[in-house]
Amino acid sequence: MFEFTVAGHVIPLFLLVLTGFTVGVVGGFIGVGGGYMVTPALIVFGFPGYMASGTDACHIAGKAVISSIRHRQLGNIDWTIALAMVGGTMLGVELGVRLLVYTKNIGLSGVVLLAASVAVMLGLFIYTQVETQRSHRKLEADRKAGKEIGREVKVSTIPLYFQRIPIMPIIKARKARLVISMWVIVIVGVLTGVLAGFLGVGGGFIRVPALVYVVGTTSHLAVGTDLVEIVVSSGYGALRQSMEGNVDFMAVFFMIIGAMLGAQFGSIATSFVRGPAIRYILSYSLILATVGAMMRLVYVLTGGTQEWLAFVAVVFTLGEMVFLCLFICSLVWFAVRHKHGRAVPEWVPPLVVTT
Amino acid sequence: MKKKGAIKFFVWAALSLVLIVYIFYEYETGKIDQMYYHSTKIDGYAVNTNAFFDATKEKPALLQIEPADEIRGLMAVPVKKGERLPRGANGVIDKKVVEEGKRAKVEGDKLVVMVPWQIKESKGFKYKDTFIHKGIKTDPWSGVWNVAMTIALGLCLGFMAEGLTDLLGWKIQKIEHFGH
Repeated sequence: MFEFTVAGHVIPLFLLVLTGFTVGVVGGFIGVGGGYMVTPALIVFGFPGYMASGTDACHIAGKAVISSIRHRQLGNIDWTIALAMVGGTMLGVELGVRLLVYTKNIGLSGVVLLAASVAVMLGLFIYTQVETQRSHRKLEADRKAGKEIGREVKVSTIPLYFQRIPIMPIIKARKARLVISMWVIVIVGVLTGVLAGFLGVGGGFIRVPALVYVVGTTSHLAVGTDLVEIVVSSGYGALRQSMEGNVDFMAVFFMIIGAMLGAQFGSIATSFVRGPAIRYILSYSLILATVGAMMRLVYVLTGGTQEWLAFVAVVFTLGEMVFLCLFICSLVWFAVRHKHGRAVPEWVPPLVVTT
Repeated sequence: MKKKGAIKFFVWAALSLVLIVYIFYEYETGKIDQMYYHSTKIDGYAVNTNAFFDATKEKPALLQIEPADEIRGLMAVPVKKGERLPRGANGVIDKKVVEEGKRAKVEGDKLVVMVPWQIKESKGFKYKDTFIHKGIKTDPWSGVWNVAMTIALGLCLGFMAEGLTDLLGWKIQKIEHFGH
């Protein structure tokens, strides 16, 4: 047990370390901060809502630094795209926060926030799921035909459209092997930043699909590059939240200790899989988070009369965290088995690498 | 590779240790608390909310009102907006709340607290809203300190872990994104 004097609670340490570890695994693997999972967890542990949100933002910044270091070693960061996007992301986050304040002032904040979360996550889930399943089928067909399979397979043609936009300056992202107008990257940064600022999250679950389906990077590069963005956006968010008095640094500290181990595992796990595996996990995390947010939305819309919905939503959100972590662990386990020629389920071989 | 890994690991592990010891020193000496519970935002009574968390309307907590530099137990220190908080205070009961008399009121030289907490909601989540953190102002530099420590901790632990895998000889190679 540890006394968190700022938050005003005594909580078993292992809960915070475990939360940091679990979200570290998921975040390191799919490139998200995990704010939509950690904030509810901290509230369940007894933190007030505002402090849960601020503490979470601060811990995400630290965790993203750890993951980024490992992804840099794995060569999963395209610094050209990351730097081009930073300004747009910052501007977007600020605009998102202002939009949030506006909706709050007209008395809509809670409902609008949850409805927007549900709509965005559901839309992204459907698109990611459809595209990834098509990629998976293509991988399966190529494998059966004895063709060589690359680390990444995508069937979406949307990035080609955006890469043809001829507005100067045009930049060359060497690592991602693409040439694109800098303005496309900046605008992606602004739009995903607005959503992140408005929804009060790091924005990884929006930015990773945007980097894959709009800019046209591979899933691995999207994860690594996005984590660099999260360092900047969450660092800024953490500064603002700390100045408002919403951060318990000791809670941040223990979650970062857990995240150090989890983020290593999650980041290194990306080297065992192909792009579609990352997108699958991302899309599952989206739908699970959507179901949790939908429950809370129904709870708010029914005037808080259905108490069980709020409880189930929290349990569901915490369960999601554990489920995704176990899913990633099992994928790595299957990848290792497959590499050593042992039996694995039929859906596994196209998603993992053997070299 | 292993030699470089060992140097990297031990250097970053030493830095991590220094940082962790420093953070715990700041916590144990109460400096983190002092940065957080820095000054007051409102006129009212500085209190330690932990001392009367179990008070009820039927069994209210009676806090002795007196000026002091440190709060111990059931004490309420009158404070004005912008003043430094006494040590041990973790919230300020607003003068207006006391004047309303629903949650707390003044009786002679005692502050009577009847409703120390109430259920509130944020983003569809319920939580206990207490007097803790109310009316307090955090030292603006604590924001910079928090972020600096977070980033420094992330860097030290991240490079230490990288050094450890190098030291253990795990071959973590760059991913060939466009190969196999």
